[in-house]
Amino acid sequence: MDTNYWSEQLFKAMVEADRSGAAEIITQALAVGIGPHQVIAGILDPAIVRLGRLWEDESMSLAQNFVASKIAEDALIRCVPCTKERQHTKGAVVIGNIEDDFHSLGRRTVGLFLSAAGWDVHDLGNDVPAEQFVEKAIEVNASVIGVSAMMQTTALNIRKLRDLIDAQGLKSKIKLAVGGAVFNWRPDLVVEVGGDGTAHNAVGADDLFLRLRAETVRAVTA
Amino acid sequence: MNSYQRVMNTLSGQPVDRLPVFAVLGAYGGKLTGTDLRTLFSDASAYVAGQKALQKEFGFDLVLTPFDYSSIAEAFGGEVAWSADQVPNMKRPAVRKAADALLLPLPDLRSAGRLPMILEATRQLAGLYKEQVPIIAVLPGPGILPALLVGIDQWMETVLFDPELAQRLLDYTAPFLVSWANAMLTAGADCLAVTEGMATASIAPRDMFAQQFLPHLRDTFSQIHGPKVLNSTGGCMNQVLDLLPGLDGLVGVMVGSKDDLAESRLLVGPDLTLIGNLDNLTLPAISAGKVYEMSMERLRTAAPSGRFILANAGADMPQATPSENLRAMLAAGAAYSAEGGGRS
Repeated sequence: MDTNYWSEQLFKAMVEADRSGAAEIITQALAVGIGPHQVIAGILDPAIVRLGRLWEDESMSLAQNFVASKIAEDALIRCVPCTKERQHTKGAVVIGNIEDDFHSLGRRTVGLFLSAAGWDVHDLGNDVPAEQFVEKAIEVNASVIGVSAMMQTTALNIRKLRDLIDAQGLKSKIKLAVGGAVFNWRPDLVVEVGGDGTAHNAVGADDLFLRLRAETVRAVTA
Repeated sequence: MNSYQRVMNTLSGQPVDRLPVFAVLGAYGGKLTGTDLRTLFSDASAYVAGQKALQKEFGFDLVLTPFDYSSIAEAFGGEVAWSADQVPNMKRPAVRKAADALLLPLPDLRSAGRLPMILEATRQLAGLYKEQVPIIAVLPGPGILPALLVGIDQWMETVLFDPELAQRLLDYTAPFLVSWANAMLTAGADCLAVTEGMATASIAPRDMFAQQFLPHLRDTFSQIHGPKVLNSTGGCMNQVLDLLPGLDGLVGVMVGSKDDLAESRLLVGPDLTLIGNLDNLTLPAISAGKVYEMSMERLRTAAPSGRFILANAGADMPQATPSENLRAMLAAGAAYSAEGGGRS
């Protein structure tokens, strides 16, 4: 079954912030016999990738991005119950806003996109101390911690998390993804706070986390 | 010509001795006076001492009332997160659902949280600086105010998926905003800086702003009896600038750091003052020479058409901003004016 047509329709609905229209497209796609997993992989994912390009061009607002994340969440909820037979997720990840940071919208959107992409997301919320990130990552065997900060002052608190990961000898097992508005404006901060990588937007989080997970696998097998 | 005359003349398109320069500095005052930020944003006298120290140290062409919206969240019943090095933030909103916000009593300006402290700081600033340095009071715009009651996530969700409820909440909160704005003017503020997050392309598309928020901005502005400047705390605004002329009492726009100032002028027309637009986040990290260079570039682009104030674009500047970077802004303004620019 050709999924390109449906992905194109879903992409248009996302750009136009048409949540109900998007839900109808998913319904129709399932009705014509496209499997739930293929809806996510062949329809939702390509639409999300195209949205990411729009975001890179600064052609999308936070409002549109938010609607897109809700559409992704809707599609996930529709399809995941049908794919319980799915044996493998992409793995566990831990996300949260760093200590003193309370700007949750971006983090929540990242969480939705990561869930839609097949990650087992553990969201610790706002104002999370470094110790809590590491404890949770060890508990759920996460390969990536995704930490968000909106402002420079709070972004600098991520350095504590970097130091803690390194001090506990987890550098090769747990990678540190950093994100938030300040990193888009000041990309040099990624290195300054000890991040292993960043994505410019929630849509790009899946690719980033896959790359970082691969780095942990390589480090373990090296 | 003092700062007050310089700024008022700029806003009205009259000649000035030199081009005015603003920097949004609140927490930085605490750095100068050695005051922790909890005290600075809780004690009117401590805050005003910070503004006095900033005037003495730098002499920018404004003094600011506290740029601290956690005080409004707190007045509605939310919780504040205090930090050692940044302006206090909202830790938890008063309610989690937009419908519940309609049940919150509107705060009493005389007693709710730290609102009386902000009014007292405004009065003290007026006592010190009236008609010498313009007193700029900062407040949120009507479109973003509900986010301080329910959190930005919930507010965005309501705006996008329950527009009728969003309109009810906008209607419900507007009287507070009008009262708050007029109270600050009565306390001595010369001009209001209204930060409307929904006016930036980063947050809302133009159509959403035009249809859902501009009518509320128009209605609110018509009830606030003083001059206003609109800003978006740093995000791009050019997408909506052509919609703004004619708003009641609007005298200027503080555009985003990525906005093209030449385009801004074309869009906003000749009668509004443009303010901006150095990037807040970049300023702490670059050299003073680079700040000077960027400032001169802004001045050469925007000042020749008149009604321009050099400033940072956005919220309170980080305490980590080197003092020489702030002085570089002032030096650029002075150098440009000495070349003969920016005097009318």
